Amino acid sequence: MSILINRNSKIVIQGITGREASMVTRHAMAYGTKIDAGVTPGKEGQVVEGVPVFDTLKRACQKMELNTSVVYVPPAFAFDAVMEAIGNGIQTIIVITERIPRRDVAKFLAAADKAGCTLIGPNSVGVITPEDRVKIGAIGGDNVERCFVPGHVGVVSRSGGMTAECSWMVKRAGYGVSTSVSIGGDPLIGTTPKQILALFEEDPQTKAVILWGEPGTSYEEDVADFLMNGRFTKPLIAYIAGRFVEEMPDGTVFGHAASIVQGDMGRPSTKIKRLREAGGHVADNFNDIIGLLQAVLA
Amino acid sequence: MARVLENIGKGLLRKMGVATPEFRVVSNSEEAVIAAADIGYPVVIKALVTVGKRGKAGAVKFADNSKEAEKIAQEILSLTVRNFPVEQLLIEEKLDISQELYVSITFDSAKRCPVIIASTEGGMDIEEIARTRPEKIVKYPVNILEGLYPYQAKEIWSDIGLTGNALQQATQTLWNLYQGFENYDATILEVNPLAITSSGKIVAAAILMGVDDDALYRQKELLGKVEEGSDRAWRPLTDLEKKMVAVDAAEPYRGTARYTEMDGGDIGLIAGGGGGSLLAYDTLVRLGGTPANYTEFGGNPTETKVAGLVRGVLSKPGVKGLFMSVNITNNTQTDVVAKGFISGLHDMNIDPSRFPILVRLAGVNDHEAKKIFIKGGIEYYGDDVSMEDAANLFNEKMRKV
Repeated sequence: MSILINRNSKIVIQGITGREASMVTRHAMAYGTKIDAGVTPGKEGQVVEGVPVFDTLKRACQKMELNTSVVYVPPAFAFDAVMEAIGNGIQTIIVITERIPRRDVAKFLAAADKAGCTLIGPNSVGVITPEDRVKIGAIGGDNVERCFVPGHVGVVSRSGGMTAECSWMVKRAGYGVSTSVSIGGDPLIGTTPKQILALFEEDPQTKAVILWGEPGTSYEEDVADFLMNGRFTKPLIAYIAGRFVEEMPDGTVFGHAASIVQGDMGRPSTKIKRLREAGGHVADNFNDIIGLLQAVLA
Repeated sequence: MARVLENIGKGLLRKMGVATPEFRVVSNSEEAVIAAADIGYPVVIKALVTVGKRGKAGAVKFADNSKEAEKIAQEILSLTVRNFPVEQLLIEEKLDISQELYVSITFDSAKRCPVIIASTEGGMDIEEIARTRPEKIVKYPVNILEGLYPYQAKEIWSDIGLTGNALQQATQTLWNLYQGFENYDATILEVNPLAITSSGKIVAAAILMGVDDDALYRQKELLGKVEEGSDRAWRPLTDLEKKMVAVDAAEPYRGTARYTEMDGGDIGLIAGGGGGSLLAYDTLVRLGGTPANYTEFGGNPTETKVAGLVRGVLSKPGVKGLFMSVNITNNTQTDVVAKGFISGLHDMNIDPSRFPILVRLAGVNDHEAKKIFIKGGIEYYGDDVSMEDAANLFNEKMRKV
């Protein structure tokens, strides 16, 4: 078991012929992930790393069953690509593209909600379920086992890079991951940490979860409420980055676009306090994750 | 986010049918007096800066005659408002106000849509209104797929007590403001006060506007009028920051590189990724270090971009060491980063045997990266140490100097 993706995922990559997307396709196939189709308008008939390319998602769906889409198209076309995925009945959409205009993001998130789709991202580096050797997006690169080995720890992170680094800490602690999810660092994202925790709660393979949090938004506070209300009952280990941001003038962005403290909103110290009050284990130092994980899983 | 100056923002809103006071932009007291006479006394004199809460900073004042205008103009031009030195003034007609309203439109990360906040108690901060008159505030999430219907704008005002002609007018203005918010890809649009004049007109007396950096490619009208990346500093961008924006923009969509200059500091920091950079900075600070800058790159940047970043970080006076800390990369080619890093050092004539440098970088192609760093005489670590351990090692190295 896992969350979001598994060996039964039928995967299509929108924008597969692009530079990054074709490299990522090569890495995914080498890892053992089956990519079923790709879409790039005007390039039907081409083959990328053995994956057939279609002009439209509709034509791909006519040829095969697809349920998971990875959006790799440039920012100006991302809105339409997500709408195309929703319009063709794709249930799980993972948006890798960075720097999509916020208005477009708000629109496709509303459309995905309305259609009942699960949307991860935008600005996600991907999702991986090592047990099934299924990875979507660049996550893990060309050396997946360095960070991602099968196991029972879920990882959810607002940072793509730290999704890998947190999973690597899990491995160093002597464990592996069930699923690692990069949810994206933008101010508007499709699936929040709380929603990911709800999925991990239902996943019997996941015994504990690591959360990488950052300044800004109320995602970590929402997680604390979720814990308080008894909706997530497994051990949660969190690291909340960016404590220095509280010492800086208000309203300045450090790191991801969502990483901003404004007045009392988005303060790491509040997030840490709330998570601890709710029974979460918050690591003061990043290295402490290893000991905390060993303690809760012992 | 790119902050928009008030004169530019008001110009955009006028095009959307929103009334604003008549205004002129001036840069000294002589011009201020001429502009004020032209508009007619009494006038409002405001600092033309991109930050809010100007009233509290003493940067919004009224003048009844040329003597006052000259004095006030000189006064405000000598101010620095929340780290922004005042270089220009806005001279505006003073409205005859019978009531002050408040309205703002922003994206809400919890509701994931635009949210309109409106109040009949304008003129003070929204935080203050929320504290003193919470019953006079409406928070209204907009269904962005459908947009805002005029009846919804009307309900917003009606719910907090507007009626009659004011209701009709405020409805039209709010609807126009929402169209402006969407049309210009704004991320924030605040009007405070939104004035009802004694003659019953609704006028956007003072505004604060920010637009989406990521949408500037389709906002040709805003070209050259707004400063990209201005939400990544708490003061006007420094020359070095502007140079770094140019380094990043020279190769769009080939990775990102961002640089924020800190006050003082002796550690040049180049960190990988939005999250990794927070960790690196936090750790250095916890160890008692003082970073001279906050820098992050990601998304598989080119050699040129990395070299530009290295040059920029090292060119700040007082930098006595260089720490590159990058999380295990998913897609960033570390060998490309390594080449850029070494070439940046060469450009700056840095000798790593005399200048403390430490790199922690692992991920795609790191066997190649390792060779490049070692050949360049750089103390290098990959996934043999954690990011925190690397910061510790660098800190010790700095202390030895």
